[in-house]
Amino acid sequence: MEKEKAHFWHTVNGRMLSTAWKRPGFKLGLFVFVFLLLMALILPALSDVSATKISVRERFLPPVLMGNANTAHLFGTDQLGRDLLLRSLVGLQNALLIGVLAVVGMFIFGAVIGIVSGYRGGLVDTILMRITDAQMSIPVVILAITILGVARPTPFSVIVVLVLAGWPTYARVARSAALSESKKEYVRAAKIIGASNLRIMARHIAPNILPPIAFIGVLDVARMMIFEAIFGFIGIGIQPPTPTFGNILADGTKYLINAWWITVIPGLFLFAALLSLNSIGNALEKARNDVFGGHS
Amino acid sequence: MADQPVLSVCNLDVTAHLPSGDAPVLSDVSFDLATGEVLGVIGESGAGMTVLSRAIVNWLPNPLAVTKGEILFYGKNMSTMSQEEARVLRGKEIAYIGSDPTTALDPTVPIGQHLVSKLMAVSPELSKAQARQRILDLFDAVRIPSPKARFNEFPFQFSGGMMQRVMIVDALSADPTLLIADNITQPLDVTIAKQIVRLLNGLRDDFDTSIIFVSASLPMACDISQRLLVLQKGRVLEQATPQTLIDTPQTNYSRRLIEKVPRIWEVDHIPSASESQRPILSVRNAAKTYHTKDHDKVFGTQAVKAVRDVSFDILEGENFGIVGESGCGKSTLSRLLSWIEAPDRGDIFFDGKSISAMSAKEIKGLRCQFQLILQDPYTSLPAHMTITQIIGEPLIIHRLASGKALRERVAEVMQEVGLALDTGDKLPFQLSASQRQRVNIARAMVMKPRLLILDETLSSLDQLEQARLLELFDKLQAEHKFTYIFISHDLALVRRACARIGVMYLGRMVEIAENQELFFEPRHPYSRAMLSAMPTIEKNRYDAKTHLLDGEPPSPVDIPSGCSFRTRCPNAVEACKTLDPTLRTNGTTLVECHLYEVSVQETQSA
Amino acid sequence: MAFFLSFMLRRLTQGLLIILIVGFVIFALLRIIPGDPVRIIVGPMATETQIEEIAKDLGLRDPLVVQFGRYLVELSNGDMGNSFIKNKSGANVVMGRSSEGLDNKASVFDLIVAAAPYSIQLAGLSVVFALMFSLPVGIAAGLRPDSWINKISFGISSIFVSLPNIWLGILLILILSTKLHWLPAIGYKGFSYTILPAIVLAIELSSVIVRALSSSVTSAMQETYIQAGVVRGLSVGHMIRHHVLRNAAIPMLNLFGAQLGGLLLGSIFVVEYIFNYPGLGLLTINAVFQRDFPVIQGVAILTTAVLVLINIVVDLISASIDRRLQY
Repeated sequence: MEKEKAHFWHTVNGRMLSTAWKRPGFKLGLFVFVFLLLMALILPALSDVSATKISVRERFLPPVLMGNANTAHLFGTDQLGRDLLLRSLVGLQNALLIGVLAVVGMFIFGAVIGIVSGYRGGLVDTILMRITDAQMSIPVVILAITILGVARPTPFSVIVVLVLAGWPTYARVARSAALSESKKEYVRAAKIIGASNLRIMARHIAPNILPPIAFIGVLDVARMMIFEAIFGFIGIGIQPPTPTFGNILADGTKYLINAWWITVIPGLFLFAALLSLNSIGNALEKARNDVFGGHS
Repeated sequence: MADQPVLSVCNLDVTAHLPSGDAPVLSDVSFDLATGEVLGVIGESGAGMTVLSRAIVNWLPNPLAVTKGEILFYGKNMSTMSQEEARVLRGKEIAYIGSDPTTALDPTVPIGQHLVSKLMAVSPELSKAQARQRILDLFDAVRIPSPKARFNEFPFQFSGGMMQRVMIVDALSADPTLLIADNITQPLDVTIAKQIVRLLNGLRDDFDTSIIFVSASLPMACDISQRLLVLQKGRVLEQATPQTLIDTPQTNYSRRLIEKVPRIWEVDHIPSASESQRPILSVRNAAKTYHTKDHDKVFGTQAVKAVRDVSFDILEGENFGIVGESGCGKSTLSRLLSWIEAPDRGDIFFDGKSISAMSAKEIKGLRCQFQLILQDPYTSLPAHMTITQIIGEPLIIHRLASGKALRERVAEVMQEVGLALDTGDKLPFQLSASQRQRVNIARAMVMKPRLLILDETLSSLDQLEQARLLELFDKLQAEHKFTYIFISHDLALVRRACARIGVMYLGRMVEIAENQELFFEPRHPYSRAMLSAMPTIEKNRYDAKTHLLDGEPPSPVDIPSGCSFRTRCPNAVEACKTLDPTLRTNGTTLVECHLYEVSVQETQSA
Repeated sequence: MAFFLSFMLRRLTQGLLIILIVGFVIFALLRIIPGDPVRIIVGPMATETQIEEIAKDLGLRDPLVVQFGRYLVELSNGDMGNSFIKNKSGANVVMGRSSEGLDNKASVFDLIVAAAPYSIQLAGLSVVFALMFSLPVGIAAGLRPDSWINKISFGISSIFVSLPNIWLGILLILILSTKLHWLPAIGYKGFSYTILPAIVLAIELSSVIVRALSSSVTSAMQETYIQAGVVRGLSVGHMIRHHVLRNAAIPMLNLFGAQLGGLLLGSIFVVEYIFNYPGLGLLTINAVFQRDFPVIQGVAILTTAVLVLINIVVDLISASIDRRLQY
């Protein structure tokens, strides 16, 4: 039993995690992120204040720190009297959900294509890489505009657009890792004992190259959350009344001069979430570079 | 100045400042080096030889630092000099050549530019044109062909041997007083290494440079040095002339070093020929060509003829060796023999049956019968699988066993190769190099093959481990009646392990002979050249001056017509340009050379 | 020479193929998404028969491939079709009952040509700002990996990358324009209107550049040949000037092509929208709201082509710095 525990922390993944843990940025980021996550999951369910409840009496309440005595709305309300804290947290829920699902999707899709392309080589590689190039030549916003701008956007289609925008990078990275792994001796050894190509790709190459790539996925969750907000802002994201950061910020710009907190407060939540995610991701990236000795 | 030693190292201590505490790396090292003298520094790996040479040029990597003692250059203390003085001293008076020529220069800049900027930086009195001329002259002196063209080429276009010549030019261009050669022949083939050492010897006379020659190879250091310094664990154990050291070593350590040098001619035991005359593997006119992009044309490929028209038999139960240097095609041949790639022409027969005529399914079944064991114990095992899983994988792939039966069979095989049973649950990184090689062997054996191909399998192990594994192979062969094919660049290894040996050059088998015959009466000039280049402390039967070849093998893209060896052969005649020799028999030896025609009738009927 | 020719031949054909594929995909998407384009042009008042007539006139009932073929032919003549919404005079007019005024629609090409210079100016200024900040900071941080410079630059780039550009834009408008009146924000009445949006874009670009540059410089510094050069007698300064920067540039060039090109082209749209800056971005986003397909189509193909070209140029420069890439 003890041997198995020793195993994990000495394996490559274990070493990456323990190296990352040593950095203060990782611990702080993780702490803040978990805190925000818990708030986002628990508070809206527990609180009797709703994110979508309109209350005309309580419109334009500024945050408590600016002289607002109404403690029911610590961070103020927007132009329809909706509580900003709750709206931000629900927006965070949506953003995280979309971000994580999008990254999982692009990781799986990109990794499969990359591994097949890098391992098989030849015509398969050329064709897949040209498709990857084509996809990479379309800027994200254009793609989003084209797909989401003319049909009614749903959470699913937003995720699809993000996956389409992001998979080429994962495919490229997976391909170059698979290419260099294929030249290694254990792959040759596997061929000699008669392993099929599928077995080699799934059982030998994938477990070796995927973990370091996955660790960096954290950084992409943050990027996708920003995109989700951007889509919402220009009107091609998830539509109201569901609160998303994009909607909230877009709405708030009208009242910038007099009730600036309507845009600034939710943005602050998003910024905090992103900063903590990026700290975690950076620490993981540095740890990966330390363990692997270089860029992959 | 002539009486003062060039270099004086006095009571030098180098320590590694590690987070866990200070660890001594060099302790109390002292020696003098006179003008024009060559000092060889030898020892086991890890003894501190590279650290010593790096300390002299002030290039110690971070945790290491000089903690005591002095290094005096012509009496001047090097650590008390100013930065600028030190810089000029380093380029101009003290030159350093390391063991890895491929990382010594920026790959994005042409060679000529590198060498000229260095020369002009340390000798500012030279003009650019003068510097360039000097470099070109030196290219000639170190025998780099087509110097003007190569001057503009990039580092990645140079082979290892050529790159070391370039680094020698770089070092000597400023006419230094001291040259430190740190294991410069390590990455090179035997014949190339010998050429470099002879070159250095010759240049020393022209330039009157003192040399510190660090080497992991005792015979190589003996070749060039006037005096030897023996290091063990950072301490100087003894200093003596090469002959004195070999005849009368003063310490046990030195004695062990001498014993560890493999004997080539005076060997106790060589494997005997196999009893059976039946071939288990037959190669007939196999050839393999790779097509790569031709960079001088917009469209078009060039043909790299890796293996050309190779034919030989391997008898059941014997140990057959295939030797050759880089580029000879033995790696490609190894891939063909294990049928990872099919030959373009020709065929391979296993047990009399043609492999190319078999279906994919039959070939998969064939894999149970012949197996390949690779060189690198570190990368040949998948890092994330346990030992039991690794050894058992072939059984799963071929559906021979699973579950309990599989574990039993794996345990059986592990015992045979000498692995403790509890290693089964470990991961590869927890095992030592020789343990991993045993795992490799176990994995190959688990399907009870009849033929084992060992592709440089023992090359990365030290002498002792090699001996132990060779014993294991003997034992396994006696029990299971395996046939072995040893593919190696190391003649000393095949001398001890193989009954019959084939020598490869430029994609062809140029000589096949029995062990004793190859080492005592080699027929082909290339075999003689390889033997003359072997680092050995015995008296070499083949003198390098007569037998060592010049230059490097031609590129496999541009193979000379007729006999491909003729461009370097000392015996070449007119006929060699047009006639392509095939292996001609001369008793038990086969040689690819016209000059061994036994009789006209034989060739006509062949 | 052979390399250059074969490279250009290969890349230009690939590039053309990519533009064609992307163009077709976008073309098809716009056509098959629910919502009849004709209705958009004509407005809600027209009758079914009128719609069919106009549709046939515009060739919108032909098979998709035929329509695309026609589009390509027109494209090669420089004609990107006409806007569905915008009139030549600049007004947005949805047609009334009749099909009059169909000829009065502005050409997409003209619209693009009118908006492009603003976007180019904005893009140019933001790249200048970004480099002014990132080059010194990134290089300094890379040369001294354990110093406070490195830690600060890392912290700054982390903050920059976590700032959503929309929020940042709004914040800057609030603080620098509305409260402090230092810079103008909305619309365009002079060069100074470019500065604030350029700052937003520059911050986004810098976050990526600083990180990549410092890590690439650090990597290059750690290469054996740099230290070996010092041992051979060359000064550290020489090594940095002639070798470190050169080798650090290669992965940076790669970055410029793929990531930054995409980033810039994407973000510029959003930033223009926030600041109501009359460039291609504003044009396109408004087109999305108004369902003006030909404009979306034209801009999409243009941006793809620009990205492809940037990549070709970047790869060519990389290969001329590092010869190994030619092999």
